[in-house]
Amino acid sequence: MNTNSNIYTIIYTTILVVIVAAILAIVATALKPRQRANVELEQMKSIMLSANIGETNGQPDKKADYKKLYQQHIVNTYVIDGNGNKVDGVDAFSVDLKSQYEAIKNGGNLTLPVYECKADDGSTLTILPCYGAGLWGAIWGYISVEPDGETIRGALFSHASETPGLGGEIAEPWFYNQFDGKKLEDASGAFSSVKIVKGGAGSNQNGVDAISGATITSRSLQNTIEQWMNYYKQILGE
Amino acid sequence: MDYINIFIKSIFVENMVFSFFLGMCSYLAVSKNVKTATGLGLAVIFVLGITLPLNYVLYEYVLKAGALSWLSPNLANVDLSFLSYIVYIAMIATFVQIVEMFVEKFSPGLYSSLGIFLPLIAVNCAILGGSLFMQERGYSNVGEAFTFGLGSGIGWFLAIVAMAAIREKLAYSNVPKPLKGLGLAFIITGLMGIAFMSFMGFQL
Amino acid sequence: MDKETYLKPLFKGNPITVLVLGICSSLAVTVQLKGALVMALSVTLVTAFSSLFISLLRNTIPNRVRIIVQLVVVAMFVILIDQALKAFSYDTSKMLSVYIGLIITNCIIMGRIEAFALGNKPWPSFVDGAFNGLGYGMILVIVAFFRELFGSGTLLGFQVIPESWYIENGGWYANNGLMILPPMALILLGCVVWVHRAIDKELQEQ
Repeated sequence: MNTNSNIYTIIYTTILVVIVAAILAIVATALKPRQRANVELEQMKSIMLSANIGETNGQPDKKADYKKLYQQHIVNTYVIDGNGNKVDGVDAFSVDLKSQYEAIKNGGNLTLPVYECKADDGSTLTILPCYGAGLWGAIWGYISVEPDGETIRGALFSHASETPGLGGEIAEPWFYNQFDGKKLEDASGAFSSVKIVKGGAGSNQNGVDAISGATITSRSLQNTIEQWMNYYKQILGE
Repeated sequence: MDYINIFIKSIFVENMVFSFFLGMCSYLAVSKNVKTATGLGLAVIFVLGITLPLNYVLYEYVLKAGALSWLSPNLANVDLSFLSYIVYIAMIATFVQIVEMFVEKFSPGLYSSLGIFLPLIAVNCAILGGSLFMQERGYSNVGEAFTFGLGSGIGWFLAIVAMAAIREKLAYSNVPKPLKGLGLAFIITGLMGIAFMSFMGFQL
Repeated sequence: MDKETYLKPLFKGNPITVLVLGICSSLAVTVQLKGALVMALSVTLVTAFSSLFISLLRNTIPNRVRIIVQLVVVAMFVILIDQALKAFSYDTSKMLSVYIGLIITNCIIMGRIEAFALGNKPWPSFVDGAFNGLGYGMILVIVAFFRELFGSGTLLGFQVIPESWYIENGGWYANNGLMILPPMALILLGCVVWVHRAIDKELQEQ
């Protein structure tokens, strides 16, 4: 058979593409629920860790069932618009943070998720997400705020493609645990985001140590937190 | 993000070769003299500049979750993004093949100088890498995707021409025998990468 | 099939240090040993199975669209691995992000298909693919070993260098930040080539 004829080439490629596409479609559909479950679990885990739940000495528990913890502790979720008013009919958990980030940047209707979490000590924490651009790709995280509306209980950050060991350190416990107990206000008592300071934040009540060698990621994270907290301060009890 | 920002960033700050090591195989194989390096570099600029906007359109209107809703609202739940790798690479390979045939037919002179590089380009990671980064970073329109493609191509071109110039000089220098050639090429690329890192401080 | 088929891709014909293939996508994943191991495994699987597959089809592929057919087959295996990682090992999938997709254009795979699988029977092609993948993985692991050890003081995430050595804890040691930066992978690779060619003098360039 002439394998170089046009008809043969076209038929051959068509059949090949159809077979390959079929195999991939089957596999992708079969694995989809698992993949979605992974993504959801990851989100629940992040939310729980930001409230210091499921942690021992600041390190995530390997055995903890974050889905169960999430269902136990999260008592209420809602979304707010850019003026701090509650919006009905939107599920906070399924809000795509990336689309919100774009809406903040380009203007547009905001639906910013808020989680209320009943901690083991009985206090109700407000957990607030944030999302922004790091050095290479997206960075995001969650910050949990005490009932007083200014003290941070805990935080957790994650990233898509920051340099491991440099910008990637924002996802490490040593970095995000620094946020515990910091305040969302400066020394004069005015609202202020957390500042990520180079070379030792010391006892500064709203400053944490930056990652050495990762100036841009540190600065982007600070800007991201500031940008989102500016919206959320409207609902924090001040 | 504005165009100049993306353009400068993709040439210097996020240089395909020095920050991501993309397109290293042909980079090392073809950087022995400046003339061929220039040929390959130009071909990369051309292919990146064209395939990136094409893949962008494919991603936005065919592959992305819900992207098919312009065809009919019933298709709003279709998510073909698992096919993205295969569609991108098929797009790139087809484009390269078409260009090759076209150039061969209409400009034999160009073909003899550029043609041999075209098959190499289909498997140049910088080209596919460009499309994957484009998808990850979510540029907001075709113009941005084009700017990113063009900038990345120029960045790659710069890298390979600079490397070829250094290697031409190196041919006359006295290097420890086991390090000669490939070993030294790696180390020099590494050092150039460190030099390029100084661009990272740019605030754009 | 003799011992050469197995040994050559590991040393004398190592895809990275001798054939200069497959450097592209992978050096960025050598900061940590774990990423390097997963990458090595994925590439080995893809090379082996796409070589096998192409070798089975070798007499039917139309020559003109050869490259596209090869790429489609390779891309299929890569997507399968990507999907599997997303479903069963989400953390690793996050860590490797776009670099899994870039396996498609890893020149080793296309290189072995063009040079070996197109002209040989399926089983030898499979073995050739697998061992080239391993030869490649070996270099990746060597580079990652040094980068993780000196850059972060850990191996596979476990602290190897005693905490008490660090300056913060009153010791004398500090992690070498340079090791974590991407260009260091290339410099280390240069050193690997140097050592390899110092031992095996035949490989030296004139």
